[in-house]
Amino acid sequence: MSTTVEAQRAWFEQAIDQAQGDLPGQDLEWLQQTRAHARRAIGTLPVPNRKSEEWRYTAIEGLLKNSFQTPAGEADAARVLEAGGWLEPDYPAYRVMIVNGRCIADASQTAGLPEGATVGSLRTALATDPELLGTWFGQAAAHTDHLFTALNTALINDGIFLHLEPGVVLDRPVEVVYLSLGQEQAPLTQPRNLVVLENGASATLVERFIGPGDALYFHNGVTELALRDGAVLKHYRVQDESRNAYHLSSLYLTQDRNSLYQGTTLAFGGAWARTDYQAVFKEEGARCELGGLYTVGDRQLTDFHLDVRHNVPDCSSREQFKGILYGKGRGVFDGRILVEKQAQHSDAHLSNDNLLLTENGEIDTKPQLEIYADDVKCSHGTTVGQIDPQQMFYLRSRGIDADAARRMLCLGFAGEVIDAIEVPELREYASQRLVATLNQSIQAAE
Amino acid sequence: MLSIKNLHVSIEDKAILKGLNLEIAAGEVHAVMGPNGSGKSTLSHVLAGREGYEITDGEVLFNGEDLLSLEPEQRARLGIFLGMQYPVELPGVNNMTFMRESLNAVRRGRGEAELDAVAFMKRVREKAKLVELDDRLLKRSVNAGFSGGEKKRNEILQMAMLEPQLAILDETDSGLDIDALRVISGGVNALRSPDRSIILITHYQRLLDYIQPDFVHVLVDGRIVRSGDKQLALELEKKGYGWIEEEAAA
Ligand SMILES: Nc1ncnc2c1ncn2[C@@H]1O[C@H](COP(=O)(O)OP(=O)(O)OP(=O)(O)O)[C@@H](O)[C@H]1O
Ligand SMILES: [Mg+2]
Repeated sequence: MSTTVEAQRAWFEQAIDQAQGDLPGQDLEWLQQTRAHARRAIGTLPVPNRKSEEWRYTAIEGLLKNSFQTPAGEADAARVLEAGGWLEPDYPAYRVMIVNGRCIADASQTAGLPEGATVGSLRTALATDPELLGTWFGQAAAHTDHLFTALNTALINDGIFLHLEPGVVLDRPVEVVYLSLGQEQAPLTQPRNLVVLENGASATLVERFIGPGDALYFHNGVTELALRDGAVLKHYRVQDESRNAYHLSSLYLTQDRNSLYQGTTLAFGGAWARTDYQAVFKEEGARCELGGLYTVGDRQLTDFHLDVRHNVPDCSSREQFKGILYGKGRGVFDGRILVEKQAQHSDAHLSNDNLLLTENGEIDTKPQLEIYADDVKCSHGTTVGQIDPQQMFYLRSRGIDADAARRMLCLGFAGEVIDAIEVPELREYASQRLVATLNQSIQAAE
Repeated sequence: MLSIKNLHVSIEDKAILKGLNLEIAAGEVHAVMGPNGSGKSTLSHVLAGREGYEITDGEVLFNGEDLLSLEPEQRARLGIFLGMQYPVELPGVNNMTFMRESLNAVRRGRGEAELDAVAFMKRVREKAKLVELDDRLLKRSVNAGFSGGEKKRNEILQMAMLEPQLAILDETDSGLDIDALRVISGGVNALRSPDRSIILITHYQRLLDYIQPDFVHVLVDGRIVRSGDKQLALELEKKGYGWIEEEAAA
């Protein structure tokens, strides 16, 4: 083993050993075992490097140059509430505030939840509902060979726990805001989330990841999602991290019979941001729609990795990701769809389209269909293009100036992804956020 | 209003317009006809300011102003409108939003107040009725998946909204059924007024039954080789372009 690899491994080990604050649920044997197992895995799992397919275009050296520390205790609620501007847009929702990886009860609002619905802190749930948690915990994520997931698992502390009993339908979205506040020692914030929708339950979950200005931190979140028979989850994620932030989200989704998952991720912020999605169909008739939009400019790398597994027959999946790259922005898209031999009548369509606003942007896109069944409908397509001069001329010939025309075309390009968001205020916010980014990119180009 | 003098235009070193002269006064309708590839669309693009053309000689004045030095959006704001032979599709750009941006940009350019949402809606509904454009097309992406005729109606709708001083309609009649031709002609005729001018590029004399031109010009190989009145179009319909080309070459 080379010394670099060992030094890199040591970074993970130190991150665990130097973590401050007590971990909850010390008396829960399953939890202690899960943590200990992950801690051991840190010593043996392969360290991500650019020779592996998974990390070919996404270097972790920059991340590992920094040392991050898990903060002790909860952030000061007053300080969080002061930063209330972060809570825009405002719309009726059950809200959970997570600051530097810890739920802040005083800044959360979950009153009025229907019976059979639990929305709140994972830490609290470990005390009140340990058996339910034990049933679900780590089902999807524990058996991964992902070193960053092991890092999160070894230090399981807090996050959200969303559980709906059979048939429970939430009347408004649950919005979780992950706020990362910089401090002297750059924080490692590792929310650990568990979302379980029992048979026929239905919810909308909004997650927003934010951090002020130029705060340096590493958000390494892990979310496990289980949709049981006929459950419906609409899941919107807006990544608005600070411009120096490192962000990794790993999502593990399992779907039972006839369940529906609709996920849209908008990735605007961060210096280095990656989203890993693993979706596994466990029973027939389920459908999974993954959508994403990323804008990437100077000093930014944004990476999406999808791993969709059709293990059983009669499931469908749609993956539609769009990227807008400007300045020296770098994008990575890796979409893998696996259709196992027994998964007949699978229906899977993946697309990744990229718009380069400047010549310096770079996108590495790799769709992979691995199909072992013979009676399936599958397709994939990727494009990388520039703004069409004919479209520009059309708009300008109608009196619209070049900047506005470019903005309209970019919004049009991204429209399909944004329109999939069914919360109007959030959709509006996403459009505005995109416009703001495009204005920045135009200024930068001038 | 429009004065084109000795206009020479090349694309990638290939000469397309070779000394074109045309004078258009306010209130006039000029039909421009001519064989395929003779340079009609090139002329319309150059007037609207599309990139990719090299002006090697000549000048174009619009109300005394040097048109060729202006950006396309500036020309639009001065009152030039190009109805395109092949209207461009803009997937994801809502037709209504587009028209509102466009109208307000042109209004700002003319020093007029922007229309608010209500006033705009009223106006667009009214004009859509004029060109018999299905309301549903307003809610769709601009031209995306529109039929050929729907695209042309959408062009005329934009013209009606923007109320240009000079409308250049490049084969707006091609590919239209009889009803659509009548509707579109109605839209154009409704716009006719003493201070507006229209350039009608067409291959078919039929259009000129609906929109009576004041002048008819024949463009051959980058030059206007003959001008006349409506009778010229009837003559072309009967005899084709051969005799004019021969005369021009002689
Ligand atoms: N981008 C281009 N590159 C090279 N040649 C071009 C380009 N655009 C036009 N041309 C050429 O210029 C000439 C004039 O084309 P133009 O489109 O103006 O003709 P037109 O009179 O409008 O013909 P039609 O009646 O078929 O519409 C043609 O020979 C055409 O091939
Ligand atoms: Mg033409």
